[in-house]
Amino acid sequence: MQKPKLIVDGKRLDGRGFEELRPIKIEAGVLKRADGSCYLEMGKNKIIAAVYGPREVHPRHLQDPSKAVIRYRYNMAPFSVEERKKPGPDRRSVEISKVSREALEPVIMKELFPRSGIDVFVEVLQADAGTRTACLNAASVALIDAGVAMRGMVTSVAVAKVEGNIVLDPMKEEDNYGDADVPIAFLIRNDRIESIALLQMDGRLTLEEMKKAMELAKKGAMQIYRLQREAIMKKYMKEETEEPEEENEQ
Amino acid sequence: MRKIVMPGDLIAKNPRAAGYGTYVEKGKVYAKFLGLLDKTDTSVRVIPLKGRYIPSSGDVVIGIVREVTANGWIVDVYSPYQAFLPVLEYPENAMRNKKVNELLDIGDAIIGKVLSIDPKMKVTLTMKDKVCKPVRVGRIVAINPARVPRVIGKKGSMIKMLKSELGIQIVVGQNGLIWINGDRRKVSIAEEAIYIIEEEAHTEGLTDRITEFIKKKKGELENAET
Amino acid sequence: MAEDILMDIKRDYVLSRIRSGERIDGRRFDEFRQISVQTGVIEKAEGSALVKLGNTQVIVGIKMQVGEPFPDTPEKGIIITNSELVPLASPTFEPGPPDENSVELARVVDRGIRESEAVNLEELCIEEGEKVWVIFIDIHALDDDGNLMDASAIAAISALMNTTVPAEKFEVGEDFRLPVRDIPISVTSLIVDDYSLVDPCRDEMSVGNNLITITSDKNGNIVAMQKSGSYLLSEEKFYEVLELSVAKAEEVRKQVVSQINQGDKDGENEES
Repeated sequence: MQKPKLIVDGKRLDGRGFEELRPIKIEAGVLKRADGSCYLEMGKNKIIAAVYGPREVHPRHLQDPSKAVIRYRYNMAPFSVEERKKPGPDRRSVEISKVSREALEPVIMKELFPRSGIDVFVEVLQADAGTRTACLNAASVALIDAGVAMRGMVTSVAVAKVEGNIVLDPMKEEDNYGDADVPIAFLIRNDRIESIALLQMDGRLTLEEMKKAMELAKKGAMQIYRLQREAIMKKYMKEETEEPEEENEQ
Repeated sequence: MRKIVMPGDLIAKNPRAAGYGTYVEKGKVYAKFLGLLDKTDTSVRVIPLKGRYIPSSGDVVIGIVREVTANGWIVDVYSPYQAFLPVLEYPENAMRNKKVNELLDIGDAIIGKVLSIDPKMKVTLTMKDKVCKPVRVGRIVAINPARVPRVIGKKGSMIKMLKSELGIQIVVGQNGLIWINGDRRKVSIAEEAIYIIEEEAHTEGLTDRITEFIKKKKGELENAET
Repeated sequence: MAEDILMDIKRDYVLSRIRSGERIDGRRFDEFRQISVQTGVIEKAEGSALVKLGNTQVIVGIKMQVGEPFPDTPEKGIIITNSELVPLASPTFEPGPPDENSVELARVVDRGIRESEAVNLEELCIEEGEKVWVIFIDIHALDDDGNLMDASAIAAISALMNTTVPAEKFEVGEDFRLPVRDIPISVTSLIVDDYSLVDPCRDEMSVGNNLITITSDKNGNIVAMQKSGSYLLSEEKFYEVLELSVAKAEEVRKQVVSQINQGDKDGENEES
């Protein structure tokens, strides 16, 4: 297959500049049965995340007497990609689930819920590059919507190298034909990037390019962080518009 | 209007003020979960908007017996943690040499009180308290545990109003289960009112509106009878 | 498990040594364990290598087959990397299908080889769109005394460098050396407080699995990264580890090459 030209006149195939995100739509609390949930679109990615828990863990030997056990399941729907994906976890999903769980584990206050489990289920309904980052963003909103105790927000974005340029939030073509892909997630607290929660990379980058990629990811993440907050605010502002008149006494 | 805060939001710089729903790091106080900020000069806390019930000592809870053992009952209190009610914590005057499963059997509901919780979240219940009893009549309704304080109201105002207006018994479990007993039709009015309270949350004059709602429903009831 | 108890007991000791600026085996924080590479250890395989990183031992075997190319790369050979953490290698490994650690290990090793374009896959095309060479890289852990990742990555590239494409067996021409043009080297560091320790041994891992692997090619480009473990990494630490890893990889690469050359020489001597 001929590699298409990905940058024309300083613009990307979908008309974006190098430091521009795809359109993002986030809605919190979209599922009735789950304790917390989120629907998220990032470009053509369509993601739905649900959180259950803290709840009892079965079988019992999976319990941890000192903290909650976090489970994260990244799953792609068979119809989410051009060629039907065989249902169930493949090696890629197993790895994504692992690193995503590891990004959330140090942020969730697991020690408050010994012996319990917190399950994060994320379904990719439509995939369009950067699904793992979109999923983490949705999962983070769903966790907050579930009322789970956390140190802050986890926000994720990918950066790519395309025809010599470092670009934010690569789309499918840039992911397929680009020279490097760096998915990153941050812990953001009180409008400030605190640390790196997820970091992967494949492709080829010099040290300088890597540093540039990190700076761009931070910029992009701050924008997504604000949208994540807005989504949660939007859901609860409706309900919580006025001064409460009750106190916690019986 | 109370501010909505999210995990990690900086809500105070005085660690001594840190209360429920907060955590302290490097001398700064942050919100721990999604909730409403309740801040005064001396204290700061976060009132949760969502979340599972996590037992706390002294809480009145309503639960369902899931297992009967030789020395007590395992009780589901709609929390990540099952509770244990030892036979020794069952009111003595009611025991009368009965077998454990004759006192309470699988599926029975109880009003209990959280006696203690160990660091591994082993929850022990007691029924030795005047509010506690097996629930054999009435109805149990379930709401989001984070909304329990609203149903109770300021200094119990909401619940008092429901009881006196409708002439029924109500016990609110901190775990979001509420027991209502009395005239069947009045119980239904109370149930409906509780769902409204749960949904409409922190709106101005909620107690007044609920009072009005109940009066209207009571009126309809009386009209139907005449 | 008894194993867990031993780890618990070790933890305090390891931590206190690290905090006083030492490692339990006397290494510097940026020092690898002794590396030993033996290639051609499995005659039945097209290529193989046994790598020891201190007490950690990994064997990689390369098998090749003729297969169909992927539709989007009709003129390129295919690499498939698998790993098996067999129960023989550690009391904590269980028999059964690959778990997430095993999958991660294989995928990170694969990424290093793939993204550095170490194997010239264009030269593995037999008939465009119809027949190409498929390279199976099978990672077999023998003894997990920590840092299977780097040991496996070294073993994989060493085995590839040792591989002869079995064209005669498949009746598609004469056998030839697998065209390998880069030597990607991964450097894994354990993050403990504000410290980072390259090539952690098993006992050091008792303080946690907070790892980061950075793979770079012979020109010092970064070709793969993986943060692994439930922890938060500060940006400053990341940059520090990044630069150190690229520098370290250069040293390790030299050692690997010299070991392979030494082995080749010994082999020639034996033959003569």
